[in-house]
Amino acid sequence: MKSTYFINFMMGMYIFIFFAYLFGPLIIMSITAFNSAEFPSISPWECFSFRWFNEGKIAYDGQHLAGLLSDWRLHDGIISSLIIGAGVVSLSVPIGMAAAIVLTQVRSQLRDIYYSISIMPVLFPGVIIGISTVVLWDRIAGLGGDGFISDVGRNGIFLTILAQTCFISTYCFLIFVARLQRFDQTQEEAALDLGATQTQVFFKILVPYLMPAIASAAVIAFLFSFENYNTTVFSILSDQTLTTVIASKVRLGISPALSALALTIIALTVIAAVTYEILRRRSEKKYAQSQEIFVKEKAASGRINKEYKAGFKVPKGIVAILLILVFATYAATQIVKNDLYGQSCIDAADQEKKSKFLEQLQTLESNELTEEELSGGSLGGTEDYGDIFGDPSLFQDFGGFD
Amino acid sequence: MGNYLFTQPFFKKNGKAVAIYFLVAIVFWFVFLVIIPQLYMLDLSFRSNVPPLARGGPQDYYTMEHYQHFVFGSKTSLDAFNFVDLGVFGRTILVSIVVTIANLLFCYPIAFYIAKIANPSTARLLIVSLIIPFWINELLRSFALRILFANEGVINNFLTGIGVIDQSILFITYDIGLYTGLVYAYILLMMFPLYNAIESLDINQIEAAKDLGSSSLRTHWRIVIPHAKPGIVSGCTMVFMLTVGALATPVVLSSPNTLWFPQLIYQWFNMNDNWSRGSAYSIILLIISVIFVLAMMRIFKVKIGEIIK
Repeated sequence: MKSTYFINFMMGMYIFIFFAYLFGPLIIMSITAFNSAEFPSISPWECFSFRWFNEGKIAYDGQHLAGLLSDWRLHDGIISSLIIGAGVVSLSVPIGMAAAIVLTQVRSQLRDIYYSISIMPVLFPGVIIGISTVVLWDRIAGLGGDGFISDVGRNGIFLTILAQTCFISTYCFLIFVARLQRFDQTQEEAALDLGATQTQVFFKILVPYLMPAIASAAVIAFLFSFENYNTTVFSILSDQTLTTVIASKVRLGISPALSALALTIIALTVIAAVTYEILRRRSEKKYAQSQEIFVKEKAASGRINKEYKAGFKVPKGIVAILLILVFATYAATQIVKNDLYGQSCIDAADQEKKSKFLEQLQTLESNELTEEELSGGSLGGTEDYGDIFGDPSLFQDFGGFD
Repeated sequence: MGNYLFTQPFFKKNGKAVAIYFLVAIVFWFVFLVIIPQLYMLDLSFRSNVPPLARGGPQDYYTMEHYQHFVFGSKTSLDAFNFVDLGVFGRTILVSIVVTIANLLFCYPIAFYIAKIANPSTARLLIVSLIIPFWINELLRSFALRILFANEGVINNFLTGIGVIDQSILFITYDIGLYTGLVYAYILLMMFPLYNAIESLDINQIEAAKDLGSSSLRTHWRIVIPHAKPGIVSGCTMVFMLTVGALATPVVLSSPNTLWFPQLIYQWFNMNDNWSRGSAYSIILLIISVIFVLAMMRIFKVKIGEIIK
């Protein structure tokens, strides 16, 4: 049928556009990280360089534009983000686990209310969680005098850990709830029948069963904490995290160093995603193989013994990779042909900008007004305004200056 | 802890040590992290703005002035209403609703394709590639759009280069960048609830509808959408809440002369040092959020547990 082809084609186009919308900006941003110009761009391509990953540059007018390696504010931000992430993980994972286990124990009439309270923090706007934590702890610090409490209540890192734990605990809670739904209660009963205490049941049965959920809750909690901005910007007070550093940089003006940072994060994410996918496929394959062996052993007659050909299948993804390779080669040859790489190119571009800047400076200097021009002369001076302040009664209503 | 709350005696069921850990963790979370801060913020929003040292003194009294300021403006202004703040508020709500609907329309075909049409390995690949942008910081994603939309940005340079326009289009000034960025920011929170909901639909139902002569549009309207309703409600709620409360995207992408409501709160809080008024505006934002969730639950007859899974 013709119409189904048409629909399929439209669908394919739509998916392509959608993914272009998702990835296009990220790809373009990644490319701008390699342009040596101060403004992140592609089309006036200056030189191919890694300067934004290293020490940045000192602009022609003396302004220092930091790169990734030389930016100490960014490094401080990353360190405090890591500390906060660790704090949030160590608080929110136990809280989420406790809340999820207790959910299985509350009476069914109460379960809805309990569940609603547990998921409420996710529905609060992030700014509100940050603000409420700050105002409360500011009050507590004010009551506590000059002692320990006052220091704690005005410590941005501590407040951020609390504020983020408030809603990240809910994400952990949801992960544990999902895992607990498949928990077989008879395991607990068996352990109890065999004489285990309740505490032993918890540590020997429940915690090992929840281990995968603990791991994924920890990862999720850390990632949410690491990339949170809305809550952090209020609760961090005078400190800085990675996200607040990025925000203040963007507000001051956009720099390719941020593209470099983003590209680093994207690379880490893609590597993690691919590793996860490979590991998952491998374990799935192993599982399938063990199932097969199991089936074969059961059917000892060997009727099901199939012959497997080690067929080679070209994966679809190869097309995309080839396209990217072709494009990259083209770009590289263009860059090499036009000599748009290396130190010489950068030096030349800088030199050109510097001379332009000096030229402008000279024009400005030559335009400087002489004493005579200011006091009248060719520019008109005070003549145009006449003697408007000459009227002695001008300031009388005002009451004078003394 | 009697039998009123739990199905079995709490301490006996869990053992003493574990039960104490549970109680401490839950009380700490609910009371100290969720309830008390919100209540204190509510209290502060009704108080006059005084420096910390004057708290509890004669200048520290209960007042409605911050809420009055939101509606009527400052006492010295000549306007009948606070058109600036009300305008920001109205615009934030309106744009958030439009962004939510746009997200729903954009995501539905993709979610349906991944859940029902694509073969499993393609679906898997698409899902993984959907997740990747989601793990990149919201600020950096907005920054990527900023590079595209800036006055000297990639789009303007490209269009000028091929000669379509001779002057830069002011994407940032007219907030086109902001709207695109807001749609971009939370689109995946619409995608996944939708996908999960459609995925659980039995394919036989769709085929039965087709066999009985239903057009594909009608099949979607009568079979798929009613089945996916919890997913739709969940996605819409999440996207609306996050968009209304967004701060990172507007910080990067909004034009200098317009504000997003959380930016207004930020200004009262950090630049004007008026914490009470910032709290009052936060309460207003919170009330709108709660009203929206309740309205969604009422209109579409879903429970709160179905919204967030």
